[in-house]
Amino acid sequence: MVTQTQTTMPATEQPAAPTQTYQPNVDICDLGAEVLLVADIPGARASGIDVTFEDGVLEVRAAVPLRELPGRVVRQEYGIGNYRRSFRLGEGFDAAQISADYKKGVLTIHLPRLAAVRPRKVEVKTA
Amino acid sequence: MSLIPFRTKRSSGMESGSLATLADFRNEMNRLFEGFFSRSPLASPWFETSEPGQWLPAIDMSENDTQIHIRAELPGIDPKDVDVSVSEDRLVISGEKKSEKEASGEGWSHRESHYGGFSRAIPLPESVDPAKVTARYDKGVLMVELTKSPTSASRKVPVLTAK
Repeated sequence: MVTQTQTTMPATEQPAAPTQTYQPNVDICDLGAEVLLVADIPGARASGIDVTFEDGVLEVRAAVPLRELPGRVVRQEYGIGNYRRSFRLGEGFDAAQISADYKKGVLTIHLPRLAAVRPRKVEVKTA
Repeated sequence: MSLIPFRTKRSSGMESGSLATLADFRNEMNRLFEGFFSRSPLASPWFETSEPGQWLPAIDMSENDTQIHIRAELPGIDPKDVDVSVSEDRLVISGEKKSEKEASGEGWSHRESHYGGFSRAIPLPESVDPAKVTARYDKGVLMVELTKSPTSASRKVPVLTAK
């Protein structure tokens, strides 16, 4: 249902920020009345996260401040960078009601479906 | 999936198609490799894992003359579910990442995050004082600061000759 679309680009528009841009890992859960998108964005600040929904495409961008390790680096398994990822969700979502919260490095986006397109259980009557 | 060329209105003005495709391709390859190695014992030949099925948090480590710093990305984990233990030459970070919706098991159409138990034993480059360790968790990032024990300073060893 949800198709991941455009992803990363060199973060050239923010010279003071990290130079790399990464795609966050996401979990997507369809709860019927809403779709839940949970993205791992460790190290970001809530104020530096942008969530936009336009033409059926949800875009998540997060600016992550550089965290320099003091001293000589012995091991480096992941890079510090900004996050960006887009998802083609299609129409049928109530853009005005989309909400997001950021806790413990995890961004949770609630995407409520428009009432008209919510799945509806149809009762089967007997004769 | 992101190999499918697609550009939003927002991005089309800022990047050329070929650059975007290349960046996508590179990211997709990185993702594939990350996914493969993070689930495999090859993830770190010299770092011990514990149980099969557990996932390994990625770490960064640095040192200076007196301290060792280790940073691990642990998004979505309650600090009280993280256990940091240290011996002279080894730091163990373990815990569990719980999913609030995990119990129902319904509705998840796409999963990329790791859930469940994790444990990672990290050999330290020098021995440390187990009493002088601080761990701090902020916005999904765990920072551990260890103080090297004074006895670990390199020592000149005299070479004896046979009589």
